[in-house]
Amino acid sequence: MTLYDKIKTLYPELTERDFMTVITLQNDFDGKGDYIAKWEHPTLPKPTQEQLA
Amino acid sequence: MASLIPSANASGTGSMTLAGPSTNSNQIVNIPDVTGTMMVSGNMPAFSAYNSSSTTLNTTTWTKIGLQTEVFDTNNNFDSTTNYRFTPTVAGYYQLNGAVSTNNSAGSLLCAIYKNGSQLYKGQVVPANSALGTNVNVSGVAYFNGSTDYVELYGYQSNGSAQTTYATSYDTYFNGSMVRSA
Repeated sequence: MTLYDKIKTLYPELTERDFMTVITLQNDFDGKGDYIAKWEHPTLPKPTQEQLA
Repeated sequence: MASLIPSANASGTGSMTLAGPSTNSNQIVNIPDVTGTMMVSGNMPAFSAYNSSSTTLNTTTWTKIGLQTEVFDTNNNFDSTTNYRFTPTVAGYYQLNGAVSTNNSAGSLLCAIYKNGSQLYKGQVVPANSALGTNVNVSGVAYFNGSTDYVELYGYQSNGSAQTTYATSYDTYFNGSMVRSA
């Protein structure tokens, strides 16, 4: 399951537009995988590491 | 209109000095400054690299594009083995162009130029075209300090599942050239 899938499972109400504006998922092609580079959603809190594990 | 055309000697070394006029009139050649370096094609870095081994783009995730093959890299400023980034060692303004292609069958595709790890220019959002493949472009001019500033190419797709880039020189590439000194 990708990071995006995990976040969508936690917050199904998120839209693609959210991921283009207030949330940025990123992968720097360095072997470390996907991560949350920006989380500025006005109402939903940034998921914790435990929630994404 | 007169022309001044420098000609290199056989060994490719040497120098040419232009003496300014002794008066403040009839100045027809402007040198950058007394101690500056005149930019000519030989000291204006340019690079071109492309994705020769597909990069996997997870859905809705900005992913750096691996640019493993160089077409040219005139000043050895492009890293095509580890970080896939252009770090020019000559300060100035550079024109940059990038493209990313995938076979998205749904969602959208776009790409962006990142400078020092942050988005600098984002290209257009293009809906998927399953018949032809999807191709997006981004371009812009950026200033580099000639030491630490660098740029990279990122791609983004929203197909709903992971997609891979078309790894060919004309589908997924990044190039640039100096257009003005600092």
